[in-house]
Amino acid sequence: MAYLLQQLLTRSAALYPEKPAVWARKRTLTYRELDERSTQLAHLLQKRGLRKGDRVGIFFPKSLESVVCMFGVIKAGGVYVPLDPQAPAERVGYIIGNCGIRVLLTNKDRRSALAPEVIAALDYCVMTDGSGSNGSGNKIVPWAMLAEYPASPAPEVTLTETDLAYILYTSGSTGRPKGVMLSHQNALTFVEWCAEKFKMRAEDRVSNHAPLHFDLSVFDVYNAIEAGATVYLVTEDLALFPASLASFIEAQQITVWYSVPSALMLLLLHANLKAEKLPHLRTILFAGEVFPMKYLRQLAELLPGVELYNLYGPTETNVCTYYRVDRERLAAMEKLPIGIACENTEVFAVNDQDQVVTQAGGSGELYVRGPAVTYGYWADAEKTKKMVVPNRFQPNFNENMYRTGDLVTLGEDGNYYFQGRRDSQIKSRGYRIELGEIESALLSHPGVREAAAVAIPDDLIGNRIKAVVAAHDQQELRIADLQQFCATRIPKYMIPEQIEFCTSLPKTSTGKIDRVLLAQTNRN
Amino acid sequence: MAIEQTASVKDQIREFIQRDLASAKGVSSFSDTESLMESGVIDSLGIFRLVAFLEETFRVRIGDEEITHDNLQSVDSIEHMVLGKMKK
Repeated sequence: MAYLLQQLLTRSAALYPEKPAVWARKRTLTYRELDERSTQLAHLLQKRGLRKGDRVGIFFPKSLESVVCMFGVIKAGGVYVPLDPQAPAERVGYIIGNCGIRVLLTNKDRRSALAPEVIAALDYCVMTDGSGSNGSGNKIVPWAMLAEYPASPAPEVTLTETDLAYILYTSGSTGRPKGVMLSHQNALTFVEWCAEKFKMRAEDRVSNHAPLHFDLSVFDVYNAIEAGATVYLVTEDLALFPASLASFIEAQQITVWYSVPSALMLLLLHANLKAEKLPHLRTILFAGEVFPMKYLRQLAELLPGVELYNLYGPTETNVCTYYRVDRERLAAMEKLPIGIACENTEVFAVNDQDQVVTQAGGSGELYVRGPAVTYGYWADAEKTKKMVVPNRFQPNFNENMYRTGDLVTLGEDGNYYFQGRRDSQIKSRGYRIELGEIESALLSHPGVREAAAVAIPDDLIGNRIKAVVAAHDQQELRIADLQQFCATRIPKYMIPEQIEFCTSLPKTSTGKIDRVLLAQTNRN
Repeated sequence: MAIEQTASVKDQIREFIQRDLASAKGVSSFSDTESLMESGVIDSLGIFRLVAFLEETFRVRIGDEEITHDNLQSVDSIEHMVLGKMKK
């Protein structure tokens, strides 16, 4: 039995050495190549001083080399940290500092975007794009250097399933992203559940639509490798173009698709999907945001032979509940359930009286326990203590559970239904966004006195973001300047597309910004 | 005359992208050749706002199957597609 993620690759590489493991932009890597190159990278990292548990950043657009890097780092006993290649340099620099990344796997373009002091603090960069040469100095390692290291066997490392495999950074409410620590066991709990639930086979052709810093990609990459299947990386030249994406699904004979619902809605509305063109597609998984019923019904009708699953779960647990779409119920269904707990995971709602909800109709905050639950946030004991809490419903042994912050209702049908958030976290295009992080970015502008970010519900992308700002001197502040300022601190999908000025934000009787009123103003 | 017309189509495209798409992403400038998707200037909804603008302003029809990376990746490639359609 595999207890480390890299063992999935070792096993499949022995069974299917010449089969393509990864596809990107019409190039492929066979299992043998993926296994050998990642082993060479692992040796390189180790020779240059990487020790168990050291963090290694992966910072370049999705490509075949991305998957080599993921496996290379964990084979060396390290922990990889996928960094959003589109994020502002300041934010990436913060993450590099926050989790103490000393080695960066990157390319010329992305490396040059970083601040000089961030680059100076790194031990070295491995250039995955063919840039750099042996003469570039000690701090630049060209990809071609891999050839100097043994392709087999992988270096010996003493790891257990409880060691960390990767850290995924998500939006943080206090203005800085936070790093969710995931162990091999966390990931494998999910991967093994998927392998069985979705009957993954070596013949499968799995799409990877999500960016690699997004936890949806854990399924795509590791479940494909586990099954000896092929993962097809959807790069930017495809991701945004529905018709091209539909042709890609058809031409590559994708069998299992996983993405956020908004990507599926774009396909529905602009790609002229036809079941007869997609005879190989057997399963569609979606997660990350609520799928509007109207579009889900259309999708179910359009692709009658395809199994549809709604997967739910925060990065801290990966997927923890699932619902298999029942086409017979779909017409009468008002709201799509998030479903029931995945095997080897337990979920329950805790109500305001701190009791576990057992009766249908009861509501509360959803808690998760089991081997999928994160240890917490990197270098943030305070935040960890708030969200990953001792299980007070079970007195016999020490274990933690994760408070999702999501409010749910237990339905008559035994399924859980998502109702909303306890805090100001929102979803837009499946991205998890803390409104507090946007406000904090706005407030760090010297001309801003008060700021509030508000979510405006949107059928296609979940939410749009608007900000209301009170300036010190309104004459001096321009909307475009503020948006430009935000772009240096937060990712583009978080920047408010609308900014309104006011002399002072509305307050509640206790002096807090009145968010209820702000949200209502929006609806009118 | 032909040269003038080319410049004005390109200017209008550039101006729309700057005003309606790039600004809201905090981007103040971009070149005519750079990939607007890779740099995040245009996102999934932006693409369809851009297409609606092109259809309306230049009185051309852009089919779903023509909304591709090759046609829309940069100001230059958008201009090339629009001019090709206007000639027809």
